[in-house]
Amino acid sequence: MLSDMTLGQYYPVKSTVHSLDPRMKIILLILAIVAVFTAGNSLAFLPVAAYIVLASRLSNVPFKMLLKGIRPLRFILIFTVVLNIFFLPGETVWLDLGFAKITKEAVITAIHYGIRLILLVMFSSLLTLTTAPVTLTDGLERLLSPLAKIRFPAHEMAMMMTIALRFIPTLLEEADKIMKAQSARGADFESGNLLARAKAMVPLLVPLFVSAFRRAGDLAMAMEARCYHGGKGRTRLHVLKMKKNDYIALLSMAVLLASVILISRFL
Amino acid sequence: MQIEFQSVTHTYQSGSPFQATAIRNVHFSVQSGEFLALIGHTGSGKSTLAQHINGLLKPTEGQVLIDGQDIHAPGYDKKTLRQKVGLVFQYPEHQLFEETVEKDVGFGPKNLGLGEEEIANRVQEALEKVGLPYNEFKEKSPFELSGGQMRRVAMAGVLAMRPEVLVLDEPAAGLDPMSREDMLQLIKGLHQSGTTIIMISHSMDDVARFATRALVMKKGTVAMDGTPAEIFLHADELEDMGLDVPVICKLNNTLRQLGLPLPEGIYEEDALFSALMNLWKGGEKDAQ
Amino acid sequence: MKDAIFEVNNVSFSYEEANEKAMDQVSLSVPEGAFYAVLGQNGSGKSTLAKLLNGLYLPTSGQVLVCGMDTADEKNTWDIRQNAGMVFQNPDNQIVATIVEDDVAFGLENIGVAPTQMPGRIEQALLDVGMLEFRERAPHTLSGGQKQRIAIAGILAMEPRAIIFDEATAMLDPQGRKEVFAAVQKLNREKGITVLWITHFMEEAAQCQHVYIMEDGRIVMEGAPEEVFSLPEKMQALRLDAPAAARLAHRLREAGMPLKAGLLHMEETAKEVARACKLNSKA
Repeated sequence: MLSDMTLGQYYPVKSTVHSLDPRMKIILLILAIVAVFTAGNSLAFLPVAAYIVLASRLSNVPFKMLLKGIRPLRFILIFTVVLNIFFLPGETVWLDLGFAKITKEAVITAIHYGIRLILLVMFSSLLTLTTAPVTLTDGLERLLSPLAKIRFPAHEMAMMMTIALRFIPTLLEEADKIMKAQSARGADFESGNLLARAKAMVPLLVPLFVSAFRRAGDLAMAMEARCYHGGKGRTRLHVLKMKKNDYIALLSMAVLLASVILISRFL
Repeated sequence: MQIEFQSVTHTYQSGSPFQATAIRNVHFSVQSGEFLALIGHTGSGKSTLAQHINGLLKPTEGQVLIDGQDIHAPGYDKKTLRQKVGLVFQYPEHQLFEETVEKDVGFGPKNLGLGEEEIANRVQEALEKVGLPYNEFKEKSPFELSGGQMRRVAMAGVLAMRPEVLVLDEPAAGLDPMSREDMLQLIKGLHQSGTTIIMISHSMDDVARFATRALVMKKGTVAMDGTPAEIFLHADELEDMGLDVPVICKLNNTLRQLGLPLPEGIYEEDALFSALMNLWKGGEKDAQ
Repeated sequence: MKDAIFEVNNVSFSYEEANEKAMDQVSLSVPEGAFYAVLGQNGSGKSTLAKLLNGLYLPTSGQVLVCGMDTADEKNTWDIRQNAGMVFQNPDNQIVATIVEDDVAFGLENIGVAPTQMPGRIEQALLDVGMLEFRERAPHTLSGGQKQRIAIAGILAMEPRAIIFDEATAMLDPQGRKEVFAAVQKLNREKGITVLWITHFMEEAAQCQHVYIMEDGRIVMEGAPEEVFSLPEKMQALRLDAPAAARLAHRLREAGMPLKAGLLHMEETAKEVARACKLNSKA
């Protein structure tokens, strides 16, 4: 379970989508979001949906996994749709409840919003399912590195994310151990009201923080001993290089975007 | 107080793809006053077994009985169980959290719902037991102590519950030789004053010196159960399991292989010393 | 004599917040290709020494030379750290990356090695510590001994002349300890890497060529292990425990058994004792 969490939702198989440059995948996601928001009518969602089905085929990630990403958001989804059905204005009244009218236009728009949300989540899931967190961090770092000129700490941010990813399983294990040790001394983490429970967390959180600080100190020293001195003059093991497939993917996204715009405008 | 494991099996994350059986069909019992060493390679299930003794983990199959009662039966008083069976984890100093030594050691008794005076008494008693004078240490922050002292404070935190059984997971791990010896002597003292000790250890020399009985775990099952003398007769098997045997035991075995008529299974320095002196003097007498 | 890799001349050091000296007038020298040990209790100053040796700390007085370079000169810092790598005590707290080979690459990335050269060096380093098959694993799924070997590989890839081990086995189980020590012995033997092994384990120090014993920030004894450990009274006075075989041999000798001096290891002690006993019964 612990090792499962560190991988985030990454689905480790080999595929064309997995092997795309992470920078390109981030750009594709941004363009996909643009496409989803540009879609002016439900018909325009068709090519988008087709695109995501095709992409998931190519990625060797079961479609089920993509749908799973929606599950945690199902309440927000239902809430948004229901709220919109009740409160959006419209002409053709289907049902009058007195305090609110349900109109044809509202229902259509609400469904439109719902589909939009689902598509957005699916695109983001596709990125995280096919890209290991570290690779994603790498991609982000390099996409943002031009911003170093305006003193944006792209390298530092990426390094922090990498270290966080590295230490999450270690700290989770430690938290589990401390919790058990305090339970052995009669600590009760489960009963009582909210305040009592918050107070019960102190014997867990203090040692956890102390340990995290100790680890941070040790790690800083170890990194220094290994000649770490910031991002300047640093080379990387994994060189990111755009390949043919990356440009093909970009082209396909351009086609999608164009078709969405055309459908929204003319149909 | 008697602890009894009846065919205990524990599987982590049972039913998930990460399912792993840590101990399998473990069967043994411990009587009051024993000093039991739990030995085994990392991952042999020692720690999992230890956490069953005070009910932190629940057997997937089988039962843990304390004085004949199933500790996971409905209505069993877990709070009293945790008081009676103290559990000291590896690197226990990593669990210290209070501002003062006194408050930290008092955490357990406070959870037992004792009065302030009683808590103070117990804290004093526990600190004296681990060799830290109460008046000198009570106001100190546990975080400004030395490594060895921090560990003793953590031990005191468990002793303040006045457990009848003390389960220790590698109490000497990471300590230097001096603090190590102090810690082992401390545990020996607790045993002598009547506490039942169950100690997980990697050091066969420690097992040889202190334990009255040893349980050897291998891949989640009990591979050997006996006195240290009985266990060390199987030096070869222990080494096959990736476990050490005491240096004296190795020395004795090598000397036997070299043809000296020494008895089997000597593992203490004094015993080997006298056996060798006898042999050597005996040879001298024969020659005269 | 070969050039000294580490040369410590009259070094004292105090932590800013403390009045006491953590190191007091320490001098030592480690020749190229050697396998030396520093032995001492916690708080004896041995870890401070380690940090002085690759410029993580700078001496308050005296001089530390690493491969002839003064650690006090900031220009030398990165050269020194590249030439004299360091492995620390806690296996978890020195691994930076989430994948083994990325972690081994960390040092190479820091010193600006060309990406095309990295895979070869990483592979060789992992091979040298016997961890090549784990190259794509996540560090937290490895055992302590394996993690330490990854840390060693990370240093090794930088092609250092020496490695300082600061209690690198203190948190490992006996198996892990053996596995790491054996890997380091091999590096010393086959690659000629100079090793400074800082420890509180007698058995490990006994297997090195030369031992410095530290107490209260000073070097109180030094010499070959056979000389140092055959003085059990002196060891006891320092509250260090001589290896069991050495202790027994000493007792037997005191009691009159004709054994040669300087017995330390189990096998040679056994042979010597067997010889003495058999000699007596034949005479």
